[in-house]
Amino acid sequence: MSRGNLLISAILWLVVALFVIYPLSFLIIESFKIAGTDQYGLKNYIDFFKDSYYLKTFANTLLLAVLVLITTTLIGLPLAYILARYRLKGKVLFTALILLPIVLPAYAGAFALIVFFGKMGTVNLLLMDWGLISKPINFVFGLHGLVFIQSLHLLPFIVLSLSAGFTNIDPSLEEAAEVEGAGGFKRFLTVTLPLTSPNYLAGAVIVFLWPFTDWLTPLIFGQVDFLPSISYINISYHFTDMHRKYMGIVSVVVSSIICVGIFLASKTWVERKKYTALSKGTTLEGRIIEPGILTKASAYAYMFFIAILVLLIPVVMGLSAFSRRWVLQPFPSYWTLDNFRLIFLETPVLLKNSFLFSGVALIFGVAFGLPAAYLITRTKVPGKDTLDFVITLMLAFPGIAVGVSYLLAFWEGIPLATHWIIMPLSLFVRRLPYFLRMAHASYLQLDVSLEEASEVSGASKMKTFFNISLPLLLKGVFVGLVMFFIMAFQEISTAIFLYRGGWETLPIGIYLNWHRGMEFGIAGAMAFLMIVIIFILLLIVARIGGGILGAAWGSSGGRY
Amino acid sequence: MAFIKIEKLLKKFGTMVAVNHIDLEIEKGEMLTLLGPSGCGKTTTLRCIAGLEKPDEGDILIDGRPMFSKGFVPPSQREIGMVFQNYAVWPHLRVFHNIAYGLKLQKLSKHVIKEKVTEALDSVGLTGLGRRYPGQLSGGQQQRVALARALVRNPKVLLLDEPLSNLDAKLREKMRFEIKSLVRRMHMTAVYVTHDQAEAMVISDRIAVMETGNIVQVDVPEEIYKKPANRFVADFIGTTNFIPGEISEAPRDRDLIHVKTEFGQKISCRVFDSAAAVVNQKVHVSIRPEDIEVFTKSPEGRDNLFKGTIQHRAYLGNFLYFFVNVDSTMIRVQVAYDVRQKEGEELFLYLNPEKCIALT
Repeated sequence: MSRGNLLISAILWLVVALFVIYPLSFLIIESFKIAGTDQYGLKNYIDFFKDSYYLKTFANTLLLAVLVLITTTLIGLPLAYILARYRLKGKVLFTALILLPIVLPAYAGAFALIVFFGKMGTVNLLLMDWGLISKPINFVFGLHGLVFIQSLHLLPFIVLSLSAGFTNIDPSLEEAAEVEGAGGFKRFLTVTLPLTSPNYLAGAVIVFLWPFTDWLTPLIFGQVDFLPSISYINISYHFTDMHRKYMGIVSVVVSSIICVGIFLASKTWVERKKYTALSKGTTLEGRIIEPGILTKASAYAYMFFIAILVLLIPVVMGLSAFSRRWVLQPFPSYWTLDNFRLIFLETPVLLKNSFLFSGVALIFGVAFGLPAAYLITRTKVPGKDTLDFVITLMLAFPGIAVGVSYLLAFWEGIPLATHWIIMPLSLFVRRLPYFLRMAHASYLQLDVSLEEASEVSGASKMKTFFNISLPLLLKGVFVGLVMFFIMAFQEISTAIFLYRGGWETLPIGIYLNWHRGMEFGIAGAMAFLMIVIIFILLLIVARIGGGILGAAWGSSGGRY
Repeated sequence: MAFIKIEKLLKKFGTMVAVNHIDLEIEKGEMLTLLGPSGCGKTTTLRCIAGLEKPDEGDILIDGRPMFSKGFVPPSQREIGMVFQNYAVWPHLRVFHNIAYGLKLQKLSKHVIKEKVTEALDSVGLTGLGRRYPGQLSGGQQQRVALARALVRNPKVLLLDEPLSNLDAKLREKMRFEIKSLVRRMHMTAVYVTHDQAEAMVISDRIAVMETGNIVQVDVPEEIYKKPANRFVADFIGTTNFIPGEISEAPRDRDLIHVKTEFGQKISCRVFDSAAAVVNQKVHVSIRPEDIEVFTKSPEGRDNLFKGTIQHRAYLGNFLYFFVNVDSTMIRVQVAYDVRQKEGEELFLYLNPEKCIALT
């Protein structure tokens, strides 16, 4: 064990302690504080669980999570099967389209849906114009709308994990069932489906936990009675009301505990269940079926349907971005570039901030992620597994927990919150595992003997890293970089608690403009701009990372 | 009529012809091996019999029932058992349920299933391991589960696709005999695919040697070894020497012909393909290393006697290989382990004409 490795380990632990463990423990301690006193106790938690309102909120969130999981599973299962198993033209394109919501901000989808399906939205207005209905139908406001938009947003996670499962099954396992006398559907039920269950669970956890972390979408749909939303409202708007503030903090902690608990439970289960591949000779693409004409037609129809729903988001955002006064009309009629003029000329600071904060967060991410990946894959430094565990845990922590804990922890004592560096810092911590996981995965694929050969030839460890490892890791690292940037770029749940005047980012701008109600066009233009920027970045990843699917996979590990 | 009948079977993958119009008949209760190097079409042929691949042309009949050409019977209805190269034991099912899978589909009673599975477990030597998950078994044990699963329904045909290739050498050898005796005991008709010629020799009643999508020879193991149909078979089965030359004399009334070798000497040898026994025909004379006798002094009155120098001497424990240089042609000779000659010494090789075969 070299001293260099120990030093790296010490520095990484210091960063984790200061920016992860310290604020999060601060949050937990704060949740035990009894308002108005210097004492600590369980009072807040007792109040929380005794209050029928908060219990209802809790139950609502749980219900939403269950409904979203059921919906995504029912829609995603056939879709994943189609994408994984059928030989179809244009599959890559459809895959890319269907996976698009992974990188689109959830709030953009919610806006688009309201504009299109809302009470005075395109669909209702058209139906009324044609005389099919006399009163607008409530398509989206309420639980059903929330289930719909969150399902659309989370569908890719289920599809990705299931289709990976379908692809990875050794074809001979299904052939054996076939030979044993099990025809089509029977075989699917008894062999295929059980074998994909570990993959499914990995995706299902992400889907199930989302309603415990997404505070904004319910608010956009006029709903507050969900755990994350009520936390946000309590903490941001009622910080003078001590009771509500502490109820907010308790909800954040309760959400976090649920998220981390379910995350850990599923992780354990998956690791125990993971069916080790026995075979050596499986084909890369798994079992591909040539579909019959009828199957083919229905598969295309199904993919089209989902793709259109997904495409609705950028299209509607685009329409509102290039128009003004799109009210009570099925489609906008006044076209203008005014919105963009406003963004670029009058408030360029939003764009600047977005790039600056995401960029700085990215630098932090690389400076932390590369050495961490090296440490975890290539050394035997004591405590490295714990370090890995703590970092991975950040996948499960709701963004709101990071935001609130930063607000609490870095206000007094370490007064970082008064400097803009807190913004990129919180983004970095929030997305801590992303870059690390990419670098980690690339490191695992890099044969150690390539590095050993360099050392035997006389290069130092440092020289070996820069001359051999880094160039070979570059592709994976680059994909990790871009995905990290995309995620940081659209981040709102952490930043919303920490921003001050002049630190607004594009997502915050979207939120504020929507919140003021009147400036929907600007919010739409900003969302559209973000979609365009993200799309360009994705194209770069897809070119370099080999396949859009692969690019999307980089982010599929979890996003809250 | 043969139990399995394959006629003019053609299977293409894109433009690549994997199986090229082959004919094959397999008798009831016979164990036939499809043998050949990788890419020769043996596994594709097996998968066509199983119904896991749909042929492009040809007929397949099992027990008189058409499987292909007149319609296509899916694998689930062919009443076959199959052992896969990677065992394909379902990791999410206990051993018992792996084996019971096909029985349950036949809607047999619980009691009967239990009895049959227990019996199958006993027959492959896995008594009492029914409650284990496959992940808790060794590779060899998983392989036995696969075998039990394939046999438990008493299928019409047992198909084995390189079932031993993932096992270590010692276990592989042991399992060869176990599979053979089990299949024989059950009077099972079996088709076995392997690229290991030693395995094929041990396990088969007959061997069909395949090369680039064609069957080049079908016969019992001894005949394949002794009378290979062409150079490919002679080379693939066992070890042999090839001496290139040209037929100089081919008398019709005699068994033996004469070949003029490249190093200018004459070899008397046999030829099985009379069409090839034409003067000036280019041939390779094949002789196995163990069929060559060595002498330190030239024995009197023998043909096919060649003088050479020992170039290398390789000790393999139970015997020795001499690589003997005869006028720049290297000939491998197998001799007893206690032969004393050293590298560089001279020897006389006697190539028994009865054992020399001219191949085109």
